[in-house]
Amino acid sequence: MSRQRPPKPGAGPAVEGYLAEVTARLPGPARARAGIVAELRSGLLDATDAHRSAGLPTAQATLTAIREFGDPVQVAVGFRAEIAACLARRVAVTLLVTGPLVGLLWIATAAASRLGIPLAPPWEWAGLSPGLRVSIYLVAGAAGITAWAALFGIATTGRLTRWLPARPRRAPTAAAVAGFGAVSADGLGLALLAAELAVGPGRLSPVPAAAAAVASVARMVLARRAARQCLAIRASLT
Amino acid sequence: MRAETLKGHLDGILLAVLDPGPRHGYAIMEALRTRSGGQVDLPTGTVYPALHRLERAGLVQASWSADGGRRRRVYQLTPAGRRALDTERSTWRDFSTAVTALLQPAPSPVSSS
Repeated sequence: MSRQRPPKPGAGPAVEGYLAEVTARLPGPARARAGIVAELRSGLLDATDAHRSAGLPTAQATLTAIREFGDPVQVAVGFRAEIAACLARRVAVTLLVTGPLVGLLWIATAAASRLGIPLAPPWEWAGLSPGLRVSIYLVAGAAGITAWAALFGIATTGRLTRWLPARPRRAPTAAAVAGFGAVSADGLGLALLAAELAVGPGRLSPVPAAAAAVASVARMVLARRAARQCLAIRASLT
Repeated sequence: MRAETLKGHLDGILLAVLDPGPRHGYAIMEALRTRSGGQVDLPTGTVYPALHRLERAGLVQASWSADGGRRRRVYQLTPAGRRALDTERSTWRDFSTAVTALLQPAPSPVSSS
């Protein structure tokens, strides 16, 4: 197996080889793996030291330490659920924080433009065209699904872990739902914007509309990538 | 004792090992081995994910520390972890009392009318 990183001082090729075998089987972003590998490395070196102090020659001490750590496949499998939970939590938090920001930009666009959307509860929107009304309900529905799925993902990866049965796929599933919900909400918002531009370009206030569009496109791209990452990591869980 | 035998009790055991004070991963392994008289000898690599899970649940707190030129991740109990350990201990006492009583050779049956 090829080594992906130069050996750290103190860790011989046997330790680095073992770590590379674990790393190769860990899913998710490199940053999440780096901390795990650093911790395993220091544990392996501690174990080697302990066996050396007990009188074993260095090479044998290293091999004994590696044997103690167990099958690299099993070690990686043990960490997969943790990486999945951390990724799902990060995705859910990001979606939950960015959602209202992007939403506010769209509300600002609607308020600054002359669209006939009054800043009032939806049931008081008397003069709104049925198409626009339905579209707004759809956006709100998608945003609601995103928020609930993200909240569920955050709740089930934190303190609640103590009392919940271990279901490693739960959090990445929720985060993926939230991600695709955000993609839908932003996509619908952008579609509404495009329709509005086609019908009456003059009615839109350009600055908030451009800001909302840029924010939604960025969020759509990132949310889609994050949701796919969550699905991929979900598939890697046994 | 193998991992399957300990299934369901590993969290409590790890919390108990951290009860006396903070320890890093390998020190936790050594404590498991010593305190169990060598009976508990898990693959070390499988203990780390369990520690990460306990950290996520807020039962332990982890921080990197540099000692003698080597960076180690040190774990310690949080107040919630201490409470969880107390619960785990009393649950285990009740369970083991009941199972011990059940596994005792039964007294010779009393003739019933």
